[in-house]
Amino acid sequence: MAATFFGEVVRTPCRAGTEEEEEEEEGNRETPEDREVRRQLARKREVRLFRRQTKTTLEVSLLEKHPCSKFIIAIGNNAVAFLSSFVMNSGAWEEVGCAKLWNEWCRTTDTAHLSPTEAFCVFYHLKSNPSVMLCQCSCYVAEDQQYQWLEKVFGSCPRKNMQVTILTCRHVTDYKTSESTSSLHTPFLKALKTQNFKEPPFCSLLEQPNIVHDLPAAVLSYCQVWRIPAVLYLCYTDVMKLDLITIEAFKPVLSSKSLKCLVKNIPQSTEILKKLMTTNEIQSNIYT
Amino acid sequence: MASRYDRAITVFSPDGHLFQVEYAQEAVKKGSTAVGIRGTNIVVLGVEKKSVAKLQDERTVRKICALDDHVCMAFAGLTADARVVINKARVECQSHKLTVEDPVTVEYITRFIATLKQKYTQSNGRRPFGISALIVGFDDDGIPRLYQTDPSGTYHAWKANAIGRSAKTVREFLEKNYTEDAIANDNEAIKLAIRALLEVVQSGGKNIELAIIRRNQPLKMFSAKEIELQVNEIEKEKEEAEKKKSKKTT
Repeated sequence: MAATFFGEVVRTPCRAGTEEEEEEEEGNRETPEDREVRRQLARKREVRLFRRQTKTTLEVSLLEKHPCSKFIIAIGNNAVAFLSSFVMNSGAWEEVGCAKLWNEWCRTTDTAHLSPTEAFCVFYHLKSNPSVMLCQCSCYVAEDQQYQWLEKVFGSCPRKNMQVTILTCRHVTDYKTSESTSSLHTPFLKALKTQNFKEPPFCSLLEQPNIVHDLPAAVLSYCQVWRIPAVLYLCYTDVMKLDLITIEAFKPVLSSKSLKCLVKNIPQSTEILKKLMTTNEIQSNIYT
Repeated sequence: MASRYDRAITVFSPDGHLFQVEYAQEAVKKGSTAVGIRGTNIVVLGVEKKSVAKLQDERTVRKICALDDHVCMAFAGLTADARVVINKARVECQSHKLTVEDPVTVEYITRFIATLKQKYTQSNGRRPFGISALIVGFDDDGIPRLYQTDPSGTYHAWKANAIGRSAKTVREFLEKNYTEDAIANDNEAIKLAIRALLEVVQSGGKNIELAIIRRNQPLKMFSAKEIELQVNEIEKEKEEAEKKKSKKTT
């Protein structure tokens, strides 16, 4: 017991921990309202995978329904624009699923009617070769939703004979280096791979401390645990909005085994990219 | 560690950083590229034009501004901060002219802007200006000048420099290509500025704005047509150089 300056008596925390358990329990007991609020919040934050064409929810995980040998995941608007222009324009891709999720980063409050452009996490497979899958993820997947996303996409027992390639961007200030960020030649590409990934990556590996974040980290960790060969190509840039130079920094990845056969017409892709840029240019007047 | 020392600008971190000033330098990188070249008889400022919204009046989105008849500047970074700095500099130019009956020297107005920026790195409750500026002009002695300032309030004289997004790429290009021959005459200096910008501007000449000051002449802004002509000349020269190279190898 201790007395404060104001004369109130407070219980000092006991390091034994076992005394006065009952009193602590009283304070921590959850009321039914708390439980209901928690349940509603969990329901709101649930990750749902469904087919847009039929509006049906997928009952098994995506890769169980559509097993693949190559899985390419683009996370973030620059990576998504890169795949859209350089990979998706050559060949017919069919949408096989869409992940709908809500978190505090979403701009909408209506979780029941998220439009496809907002819940942007769409999965495609190549019509001519359905074992090639592609994911375009433009929305932010929060920490508590990443596990759900992985379960719903990869399942609880994934195949090991597939190769996963992840593309994403981070701001250069996340890059741990003793040099000043102003001396770095942005944008630049770094790679991080799982133990089972045997191919040489198309850029230097991310140096220690090689820390990555968010969904790309979750996917890579998952692949490491399940011994799936996976590689993450991380583009460090100083421009986080949709930017031509950042997108073009991903070009070396086009020579990888996963993407080489999917890329057909690079000059046409560059044109498509330019069109994408002009239609998406955010007219922000803050910076000139 | 950074999070404990970056809230107030007047606080040094244990290893001597002023994080708010460094973060202001990141804000500069969000602005489009600007390049400045000091020739023998000319100073050139080239900028990557910002894309303008359909309903926006293009004339109100300017990166190159005249501070006086013989001095002009280009900036990169926060638009509103630039407006405030430019207004203060313009007033100072006129005040100086009225007080001492002489126009400002380029160095004087650069020092004024740099001192203003430095004050904002040492005041409580204020944040630094998030802009870097390239200031060019001719002094009374007829010597061309190019200065660069940054959010910390430092300023230096340069022969050629770049600020804003991809400034490092442009600076490296200038280091390789800025030679006495390259700035031998006015036209070559203008071409060098455009070539430097074309390294990082994707859509070519239509996204470039150029301004020059020649000795004893006022600021001249190039029209889109004139820039297009220069870009075409540069492309022709590039083609010819490539043809020569391929002839040599065969």
